[in-house]
Amino acid sequence: MSYRLGIDIGGTFTDATLVDEATGEVWIAKVSSTPSDPSVGFLTAADRILAEAGVAGAELRYVSHATTVATNAIIEGNVARTGFVTTDGFRDLLEIQRQVRSALYDVHFEKPKPLVPRHRCFGVRERLGPDGSVLRKFDEEHAREVAAALRAENVEAVAVCLLHAYVNDAHERRMGDILAEELPGVDISLSSSVAPEFREYLRASTTVINAGIQPMVARYLQGIQERLGDSGVEAELLVMKSAGGVYTAEAAKRRPVYMVESGPAAGVIAAAELGRSLDQPDVISFDMGGTTAKVGLVQDGTPTVTKDYQVGSAAHAGVGGFQFSGYPVRTPVVDLVEIGAGGGSIAWIDSGGKLRVGPRSAGADPGPVCYGRDGIEPTITDANLVLGRLSAANFLGGEIPLDVEGARAAVEVRCARPLGLDVLEAAHGIVEIANAAMGNALHLVSVQRGYDPRGFVLVAFGGAGPAHANALARDAGIETVLVPRSPGIFSATGLLVTDLEHEYTATVLAPLTRVSTDELEAAFAPLEEAGRRDLERDGTAPGDIAFVRQLDLRYVGQSFELAVASADPLEAASRFHAEHDRAYGFSAPEEAVELVSVRVRAVGRIAKPALPILDEGELPAPTDRRPVFFAEAGGFVEIAVYDRSALPAGSRFEGPAIVEEYDSTLVVHPGFEAETDVHGNLVLRRAS
Amino acid sequence: MSLDPVTFEVIRNALVAATDEMVLSLRRSAYSTNIKTRADFSCAFFDADLRSIAQGFTQPVHLGSMVQQVPRTVTEYGAEYIGPGDAIMTNDPFPSGVHLNDINLVSPVHWRGELVGYVANLAHHVDVGGGAPASIGAFREVFQEGVIIPPVKVVEAGVLVPDVWKLVLAQIRSKHETGGDLRAQVAANATGVRRVGELLDRHGIETVREAMHELVAYTERRTRAALEKLPHGTYEAEGYVDSDGYSDERVRLHARVELRPDGVRFDVTDSEPQRRAPVNSTFAQTYSACAYAVKCLIDPDLPVNEGFYRLLRVDTRLGTIADCEWPAPVVGGWETQTRLVEVIFLALSGALPEGVPAGTKGMMCHAGFGAVDPELGYWCFLETFGGGYGGRFASDGPDAVQAHGQNTENAPVEETERGYPVLVERLELVEDSEGAGRFRGGLGLRKDYFFPRGPVTFTVLADRDREGPWGLFGGLAGHPAEYVLNPDGDPRRLGSKSTVEVQAGDVVSYRTCGGGGYGPPHERDPELVLRDVVEGKVSAERARTVYGVAIDLDERRVDDEETRRLRA
Repeated sequence: MSYRLGIDIGGTFTDATLVDEATGEVWIAKVSSTPSDPSVGFLTAADRILAEAGVAGAELRYVSHATTVATNAIIEGNVARTGFVTTDGFRDLLEIQRQVRSALYDVHFEKPKPLVPRHRCFGVRERLGPDGSVLRKFDEEHAREVAAALRAENVEAVAVCLLHAYVNDAHERRMGDILAEELPGVDISLSSSVAPEFREYLRASTTVINAGIQPMVARYLQGIQERLGDSGVEAELLVMKSAGGVYTAEAAKRRPVYMVESGPAAGVIAAAELGRSLDQPDVISFDMGGTTAKVGLVQDGTPTVTKDYQVGSAAHAGVGGFQFSGYPVRTPVVDLVEIGAGGGSIAWIDSGGKLRVGPRSAGADPGPVCYGRDGIEPTITDANLVLGRLSAANFLGGEIPLDVEGARAAVEVRCARPLGLDVLEAAHGIVEIANAAMGNALHLVSVQRGYDPRGFVLVAFGGAGPAHANALARDAGIETVLVPRSPGIFSATGLLVTDLEHEYTATVLAPLTRVSTDELEAAFAPLEEAGRRDLERDGTAPGDIAFVRQLDLRYVGQSFELAVASADPLEAASRFHAEHDRAYGFSAPEEAVELVSVRVRAVGRIAKPALPILDEGELPAPTDRRPVFFAEAGGFVEIAVYDRSALPAGSRFEGPAIVEEYDSTLVVHPGFEAETDVHGNLVLRRAS
Repeated sequence: MSLDPVTFEVIRNALVAATDEMVLSLRRSAYSTNIKTRADFSCAFFDADLRSIAQGFTQPVHLGSMVQQVPRTVTEYGAEYIGPGDAIMTNDPFPSGVHLNDINLVSPVHWRGELVGYVANLAHHVDVGGGAPASIGAFREVFQEGVIIPPVKVVEAGVLVPDVWKLVLAQIRSKHETGGDLRAQVAANATGVRRVGELLDRHGIETVREAMHELVAYTERRTRAALEKLPHGTYEAEGYVDSDGYSDERVRLHARVELRPDGVRFDVTDSEPQRRAPVNSTFAQTYSACAYAVKCLIDPDLPVNEGFYRLLRVDTRLGTIADCEWPAPVVGGWETQTRLVEVIFLALSGALPEGVPAGTKGMMCHAGFGAVDPELGYWCFLETFGGGYGGRFASDGPDAVQAHGQNTENAPVEETERGYPVLVERLELVEDSEGAGRFRGGLGLRKDYFFPRGPVTFTVLADRDREGPWGLFGGLAGHPAEYVLNPDGDPRRLGSKSTVEVQAGDVVSYRTCGGGGYGPPHERDPELVLRDVVEGKVSAERARTVYGVAIDLDERRVDDEETRRLRA
């Protein structure tokens, strides 16, 4: 027998999933997160699920992990005592940043506080030109003085980012060697290794974050490895990366910056894999939890990935331009639009007398009014309860009885009366406004990027996702909604189905027409060699290794690149023109295309577990009937409520209806029908 | 019928999303560093009656200028001659535009044959021709500043009008970049037209019209609610632009601000007459300064549209530096406009001590340069620099940051060096440049350009090199800026509005001003002084003489006894 274990640590809960590789049978567990030492929550969840399934630690073949510990450390400023070394004359890169304000009209704005204070930032005498040529020789003696000064500051980690090191890493490597000699035991991150890309502040910021979280992440992962070992687990610990794919804990200890968004990535990967397993490679993932909703896009089985990302920037209600309110990270991250619309998001009336929803959230404490924990501001969850969409008695399997009257009173007093509406109109309005905001997010990841959402399947998960997915799909013209089993912990299942991945980049910066196929081959070869070496070190068999080659291209003079999967210059150019037209609505085939960098994704394939197979059967009788409000039905209608665990494969029913399970409630609107597929997913379609 | 609040909120968000998507589209497909990296542009949506409805701004300076320029463009061209798929282009400063570098592109939105409104975007182009590369310099009249484009049709029914396109590009040095940027502007408007069209498909024209109408009323209600809470009264102040590039006589600005529950009235008529020098602000620029100042005083979350603007009144006198007339040079207008914001804040500081900062950088601070290169052709580069922000009621002014209407990012050193034949020798904070105070001003920054090849035509268009930003309530002024040729060789001060030919091997050094301090320096928490000294932002000597704090740098602690003595 062999099993896989996935553990996903979020802000509130730590989710565990266990799958039997042979049968696809799945177990789940949810425990409270333990922010003071997240590894405690990890092990509690692991112990519980193994006990429930009766599985011994030695029977585990993989343990995959997604965690927010790295992000939280940065947001809380809880980073190691870090030093920063750059080229002489540029010591203040981290202070100056991009010289902009994070808020345009707020005279009390603050710049993000540098993660390394100025007295631990040093310039070393050396200088490279943009072509990598040496303009000023590396000054060994000065480098040792800098190392001595860092030693005097008792640093635990050092980030090195020298100008143009992305073209020529010789000076950085020499600096690294000297630091290693002078500061034994201190973690050293080189920008040419962590994020070899041009634009110094973005590269420096990425490198500093890598350095700053490295000691903590290494200790954290080491602790988990040891305690897993104590429990008899021999399987390798794998960690989810921000762009999907896992890497080994050992690799994560060296490059922790690649895992800052591991939690959200797991959800999109899970959605992609679910789509793939059902021959639906084009998927929009919709993950709605307690405080935010996240929308991502998967095309042809691959999640879209971005490098325009900042850690610690506030979630906001729109795109809001490119405000620098966090720390940029130039490692690939699954491209998600996240907005402040979750079950706990608060509905309020603004000073212009209009109804607004979010981005403020009631969080876990006090939570929505209906939780009866002294919350007084109505939330999306309260509105759903007032509309009858949630059950007062069955929420979280009945663990939390919900206070319907409290919710109704809060909606009435705080929203309905000021607007001159009745309580149902107000509650419905709260839900519709949240749906519209999520619809804008969906538009942003699809139409705005040149994808027509009508060709995609919406995969809905997170505790609150299934309650809103049908309306979201209806408004976006999406034909099919997939709701996986246990939507509340679906993200964690992404950990069980992903491959080992490593990324390698080399900056080229040459006109594409001047690059021959042979030269491209020569640029890719060392990257693939490194990938093969790393994957073999991870234990991947040669037959399971695959490479995905990509070219980052742009028109000469542009700043943002588009990734084109090709290894042939001519074909790449024509694909680039087409891609540019898709993304921005125009192309310029007469203009020169520049090859910015070559990228290789080295994939170590891991066999996918079997999917569970459900028995076919008839639709069981509803467990309940209750009145639920639907605007399209003109008000409350008495509808059937099904218990999801009782629905066999092939059972089918028409909306309006409700399906309840332990951690989530699915709302099927009038005009839609739902069917349980052979793997237990609920599939919603427009009724024929 | 009255629109339900839910549909309203849905449409309101969708309109904002439409302009935000225009922003993304423009930025990602633009070519010049100034647009793609520094985000020097904005996007907006107007209704068929040319009322401002929704805006996607990256640069607050455009807050007031687009609302002036777009309606004028349509009116002047004639709405009846603008059809579906057309785009009208203009950069004409007179009567209500801004400087020539900012090219505006306006496209109508039609739905089922009916005019619904206009999308527009405005972008600062790196070069529009004229007397010096990057089209900045100390010119005498607008004709020297570049190509003047009255409202003309540049796209007709979705197709570029080649004659116009060629005629405009012929006047411009960096044709490749500017051509690419203009195409990106066309694409951004197309994005906006499409997105608003989808909104109409979903809700129908009546509902959307009603929502737009209500949106304006809604913003007005919220603005009034915010104005209600302000200390009503009339406040005034004056201030000066240091020099005009030709004479040493400083340039006087005066503002009277009347805060009322039903609106804000600005009177800048007492500012001095316009000059044949780069210090003239157009009405649109002046209006923009006033709108920005008001926006800072009220709810930062407030969506700006006609309902906000209708509560502002800005009185100017034609022929002054705050409302110049043809053919005045206008390229330096933003320097004056930014200083006007400072003067307005100074006027309000007594009434709103918690609401306004001490003097900030308060200038645009441009560097523009270019040359003909055998490989690159005619290349042009433009950048502006951050400086110290003013100290505030309860916090220090941030270091090295843009101020007021300006929020453009710096050009990454590596991107600059890859794209242009120039090397950046240093980029760092200017130590001891802060205006001391209970809450100190921010530090200025220093950026040095080295030119390996010459000659290169280099223009400084800036200010603040004579007087630093003022302190408030006992705080000291920030250190003034300096513009220096060859700082480490045979240094020569450059005028704040001047053009020089630099030769191979020359260095041009910018040192921007620090921000003004807030409150007396002797009231500063000694621990904050210690932090500044440890970080090397303030010298131990300055800590002692200016702040009255004795620092033991070896022990990294405050010498309390000595500090008490110094502060006694």
